[in-house]
Amino acid sequence: MTGSRIGAIIRKDLREFSRNRFFVFITLLVLVLYVAVFWFLPDSVDETVRIGVSNTVLSTDIGGVTESGTAGFALEIYSSEEELRTAVENGSDDIVAGIAFPPDFVESAAAGETPTVRILVPAGLPAEIELLLEGAVSEIAFGLAGVAPPVDPITEAIVLGTDRAGNQISLQQQMRPMILIMVLMVETFALASLVAIEIQQRTAVAVLATPVSVVEFLAAKGVFGVGLALFEVVLLGVLIGAFAVNAPAVLVILLFGAVLVTGFGMIAGSYGKDFMGTLMVAMLFMIPLMIPAFGALFPGSSPAWVKIIPTYGLVDAMLQVTVDGAGWSQIAPTLLLLAAWGVAAFVAGAFILRRRVATL
Amino acid sequence: MNLQSSWYVLARELRLSPRSPLVFFAIAMPLIITFLVSSVFGTLFDTSPSLGIVDLGESQVTVAAVALDGIDATIVSGVDTLQERVEAHDLDAGLVLPDGFDAAVARSENPDLAFYVSGESLASTRIILAITTLDLVRGVEGSEPPVTVVMTPVGDEDYVPISDRFLPLMVIYAVMIAAMFLPAASLVDEREKRTLDAVLVTPTRMSEILLGKGTYAVVLAVILGFVTLALNGALAGQPGVMILILLVGSVMLALIGLALGLWARDVTTMYTAIKGGGFFIFLPVVFTLFPGLPQWIPKLVPTYYFLQPIYDIAIFGHSFADVVPDLLIGVAICIALVPFVGWVARRSERELAMTV
Repeated sequence: MTGSRIGAIIRKDLREFSRNRFFVFITLLVLVLYVAVFWFLPDSVDETVRIGVSNTVLSTDIGGVTESGTAGFALEIYSSEEELRTAVENGSDDIVAGIAFPPDFVESAAAGETPTVRILVPAGLPAEIELLLEGAVSEIAFGLAGVAPPVDPITEAIVLGTDRAGNQISLQQQMRPMILIMVLMVETFALASLVAIEIQQRTAVAVLATPVSVVEFLAAKGVFGVGLALFEVVLLGVLIGAFAVNAPAVLVILLFGAVLVTGFGMIAGSYGKDFMGTLMVAMLFMIPLMIPAFGALFPGSSPAWVKIIPTYGLVDAMLQVTVDGAGWSQIAPTLLLLAAWGVAAFVAGAFILRRRVATL
Repeated sequence: MNLQSSWYVLARELRLSPRSPLVFFAIAMPLIITFLVSSVFGTLFDTSPSLGIVDLGESQVTVAAVALDGIDATIVSGVDTLQERVEAHDLDAGLVLPDGFDAAVARSENPDLAFYVSGESLASTRIILAITTLDLVRGVEGSEPPVTVVMTPVGDEDYVPISDRFLPLMVIYAVMIAAMFLPAASLVDEREKRTLDAVLVTPTRMSEILLGKGTYAVVLAVILGFVTLALNGALAGQPGVMILILLVGSVMLALIGLALGLWARDVTTMYTAIKGGGFFIFLPVVFTLFPGLPQWIPKLVPTYYFLQPIYDIAIFGHSFADVVPDLLIGVAICIALVPFVGWVARRSERELAMTV
């Protein structure tokens, strides 16, 4: 096996890739679009429900009643109910709803009467916010009437796990692994197409008629695939700030990811009969491989079946490093799993491609 | 034009197309998109706070919590499991109700209540669950709140939930793949394999081939569009009207697809054009998803004139008469596209050095 022969095949593949308008267009489009989308996404999480209140006299009392639970609940005071109604209709000051207290609310509640409070509910207000408002108004009235709560789940709550209050994972951080995986997937298709074209046009036969061995041919495809995927994903990673924390670990994760998708690219390319056929086969791999990245957008742990998808390790390790600032020792088990999947996919891809080339 | 020749082309498409992976893609895509939107995106944008409850007695708090609208309450078997699930953020919060809890509350004994919150749950979610829990316990205590709360709806009555705003996306996917992508790919494929040349040496004319391929694409697109609407419960009791609107949209996209298939030299060029120009076809969908954007912009895009009527009928319950103006513009666009496709076809024939 000589490096010069492998290098020659890689240069040929690179030329073919750069001449293909579709691949060049889609590569540039993906880079520009994803970088734009990433920076357009919110980089922080607003954890506060803002409520408008129409009684200035009440502000101190309400603050007193809800003082212990002010995190996550903020009040915006308006001088009149009309002003509050307009603000709720327009969504001004980011308020989601309004509470219109009558002017004599404090006196009535303290006297044990039952005053009427109007909650101004805009269209589409989630039911849980209605529950919050109803409950909060009741508690304010109970407080003014001097009726103490039977239990106190607000101040006596026990936090389990890392408390992220005020430091939540933003959508931008959640989307980062997904964007990187999307790019790797596009490169899976690019490699698959190049392999498929080589098989359809039988140029693989022509190459193998020279002193190039099958092993050198496969090595060239593998190196080209990994290099192509890694180059683009690293470039994108730099543009979306994926290397801000523990850059060497991120690079290793992406390298294993590139090896993984190259294996699938070789498999898809071996089975694809034409452009459309290759696209379909590549899609069959791409859709399930995307699932762990989608799963990362949802709260909670992933179901057990998601953990056996090869890209799970890629997403999990990336999130651990970029979100939790995990070190090598923490990501080692996930990284080993990803590496194992990468090697397995690569070996399977090389084996299937070798058999396909042998039948030409 | 000989309609019998077009029928032969259509019959050939019907016979051969099931072998094409693209047809499988066209049929599977509406189902996949419907699944993704209903199960993934719907959930993503519409998540209720989740509360796990370990009830060691038979508390009425549990009964009331499970019946609540707006809180996703789950009964959990043990305290350890509850703590694990809360820590993993499978649940936003967890509540342990000891045996005899209701009786202790009724006796004003201030019983112990273990209330766990996940470190990853939002502060707003925590306060919602805490206040709701307190409200539920007040209910068991039997104390009536010293206030009457009246819910007063204000503002936009035309508010559409995010899950409903995805409808045009699902429809455009179903119609576009079958109506536009299929004839374009078929024409390009036939040209690359030179079977188009073979057909054109027979008495069959290019216009007859286009009619046959276009008819196949339109029929498939209408069926898939209709199935997509039915799967999403969006026929609004007007299936006939929906079929008519889908027909206009399918014809429009089939004409664009035929022009694209005649123009593109190879499948790569076709794909690049679709990827590049697809944004404009999808543009009305973006404006439906984000109603705050200026709504005159999507009116510049042809696909608006069949997507908007479908949306108006399915979501706002408009009648056929209400959507006729938009639909007529859609029909006018289809008519205007016919000579354009004819021009591209003649140009394509000249390139193939053949006579019609």
